[in-house]
Amino acid sequence: MTYVKYGSIVLITFVLIAGIAIPLSPSPQSWLEFPDIPGLEEKARNIFFHVPTAWTTVLAFLVSMYFGFRYLKTKNQDLDLKSVTSAGLGFMFCILATITGAVWAKFNWGSYWNWDPRQTSIFILLLIYGAYFALRSATENEEKRARLSAAYAIVAGFTVPFFIFIMPRMMTGLHPGAQGDSSGGGPLFESGMMAGNMRVLFYTSLLGFNLLYVWLFDLRLRVARMDYQLTSRQSEV
Amino acid sequence: MLEFLSNNQMYIVLSIVLLVWAGVVAYLVRLDRKMTQLEQNLKKEA
Repeated sequence: MTYVKYGSIVLITFVLIAGIAIPLSPSPQSWLEFPDIPGLEEKARNIFFHVPTAWTTVLAFLVSMYFGFRYLKTKNQDLDLKSVTSAGLGFMFCILATITGAVWAKFNWGSYWNWDPRQTSIFILLLIYGAYFALRSATENEEKRARLSAAYAIVAGFTVPFFIFIMPRMMTGLHPGAQGDSSGGGPLFESGMMAGNMRVLFYTSLLGFNLLYVWLFDLRLRVARMDYQLTSRQSEV
Repeated sequence: MLEFLSNNQMYIVLSIVLLVWAGVVAYLVRLDRKMTQLEQNLKKEA
């Protein structure tokens, strides 16, 4: 866990410094210059911070689904705590991705909200996971709540890759990688459009955010466990 | 230093972002320690 903590601190600090301080240049000559992409300009730096939040959302929701599976197999209450902890973190990162995306959209596409396929799909994801927490709080019985929400987390988890990776690529839209995008390819991966130094920094940022997620998951899970211990102790008394 | 910063304003933004990040990290580290302590207290009681 120590490596996770220090790793996330070091990596994210590095990405913040390099991502903000490295100047743009119309024709970059060295690793210490980012390309000045027309239309994006300084806003290109957003990619180091906005995309990792969306990526962490996906990771967290899939982890929630994984622990949902494990709970249904073993009926171990601790796995339910893990599943809900991850879903909560995913929800938080999902909100961050939506808001940071909206701010960026205002200055690149002219309006905070455009119902671009990706904006639509993240909105649906927020609704799906909002319903997950509503379902949890509406179920009194502990075991029934764990069973229902594990099943829900599994079904919801299956929709995540569809909404994040498939649907936005099948439809025409404003995000890079949408159908009919002249640069082709998905966002960053196949396109080969991203400069080498930006790509390295981008993957560093993804890793840093993933480690931060693991750290936050650990903290939140420990709170959930203490809470669980105290409540079950009270109900014994 | 001050003149450099007023000519390269991106670094002012950078220093502020880093201060915020440092604050958040310090908070998380302290929270982590506090929780380890609480967990130990809980164990002792049980």
